[in-house]
Amino acid sequence: MIETHHLSKMYSRGLYALNDLSLTVAQGEFVFLTGPSGAGKSTLLRLLLMQERATSGELVVGGQNLAQLKRREIQEYRRTIGFIFQDFKLIPTRTLLENVSFVPEVTGVSESQQRRRAFQVLKWVGLQHRMGAYPTDLSGGEQQRVAIARALVNSPTLVLADEPTGNLDPDLSLEIMNLLREVNASGTTVVVATHDRELIRLVGRRTVTLDQGKVVEVA
Amino acid sequence: MRALSYAFRQGWLSVRRSGGSGAFAVLAISLAMIVLGALLLVTSNGERLLTRWSSAAEFSVYLRDDATSEERGAIESLIDQSGVGAAREYVSKADALAHFRREFKEMEALAAGFNDNPFPASVEVKLKPEAEADGRAAALVKRLSSAAGVADIGYDRDWLGRVAGTLRTVRAAGLALALLMALAAAVTVATVVRLGLHARRSELEIMELVGAPIAFIRGPFVAEGFLQGGIGAFVALLLLWAGFALAVSWWGTDIRAVLGGGTIEFLPLRLVAYLLAGGMLVGGGGGLIAARHAG
Repeated sequence: MIETHHLSKMYSRGLYALNDLSLTVAQGEFVFLTGPSGAGKSTLLRLLLMQERATSGELVVGGQNLAQLKRREIQEYRRTIGFIFQDFKLIPTRTLLENVSFVPEVTGVSESQQRRRAFQVLKWVGLQHRMGAYPTDLSGGEQQRVAIARALVNSPTLVLADEPTGNLDPDLSLEIMNLLREVNASGTTVVVATHDRELIRLVGRRTVTLDQGKVVEVA
Repeated sequence: MRALSYAFRQGWLSVRRSGGSGAFAVLAISLAMIVLGALLLVTSNGERLLTRWSSAAEFSVYLRDDATSEERGAIESLIDQSGVGAAREYVSKADALAHFRREFKEMEALAAGFNDNPFPASVEVKLKPEAEADGRAAALVKRLSSAAGVADIGYDRDWLGRVAGTLRTVRAAGLALALLMALAAAVTVATVVRLGLHARRSELEIMELVGAPIAFIRGPFVAEGFLQGGIGAFVALLLLWAGFALAVSWWGTDIRAVLGGGTIEFLPLRLVAYLLAGGMLVGGGGGLIAARHAG
């Protein structure tokens, strides 16, 4: 699903966020990326989301070399990815249903389909009864569940999560991880960046440890 | 089609939420459209009156006092054969004096002091409208001026040219001013739309990340400017119409007198549509400038 070959990302002043990184994530796999702050976890996710471009090396996702994608192809590629962030990135002026249906809405899905899909994923994360509420009315755990619902609404083949439990207590963190495990069980590839070693131990999946932009351990 | 519908729904929401800054953008467009509308009002009425005056053209062939009836007959047949006259009338010296006394009653004392009738006899020719435009009238006047028995010819079309020239100057100056104001209005709209764009940063970021097409990302901002422009132009048209109605009710009689019986009219539907479209284009342009910063 994901292959990186000698992938490097250099920021200004010669600082490498990723340095000659080679890594493979199989289709349908659940992988943790871990390591200390500045190890390159979030940079790799940003490259996968095409928010940034690699300085050198190759990044291939689903058989597509991301460096060769044109603007329209980037849009199509991104529609196959679901993303989850530590700060949820929900739109405070929209209800939960609107936050979730917003994704199919702006990718050109018909109105009836938007509502149907949004309701289904909200039901799946257990928040269908609160679909008229606003994000500020919810707890952190509930907001992250909405973010997961939004990530899944377009049926992605790959879900990227950057510190999805960073703002949550241990119980809620495990609850979110269980949701992601269920997502993975349906065949979706899941990549989670986290520095929470205890959570990784509890979930027990393949873990790639990065440090200074390089893979230092695969467990 | 979905992108268009989404753009206008979101654009309309933004217009409603923009409050004071949105009203400022609408005001800027209104001002530009009022200037342009007033200019169109003046020039369209001016052109209409010019056409009317041109089509009502006539000239007078003043006869020498010693002109013979044969010479007068030759002059009249020259006019008839030219085919430029819609009507022709002979005015004798006595008729001319009577006409003067009738039209200028306040100068009756002056007329009473005439020892001899100073007014020449004349042949008054009403021109066919097309004869003026195709130059046949001017050619006939030239031929008549050298005919036997002709003292002078009254055919002053220069004033129409002067009026047309003034109209052209007014139109050019007004257009330049309106263009300048439209540019300022577009910049104002762009600034206001950009404010809204910053307020929706997080929304735009999500749209980009989920692979929303560029039409969905930028469209609402263009639509917002477009709608602000449309509202601005509509307000401008309302104000222009109110101003026009007031001017006609207060000074209608005076205007008729100044224009020699001519009336002024509000902008024709075609120009109203152009103004509305112009406002939308200016606003949409401003929105497009702002939208370049999104996505």
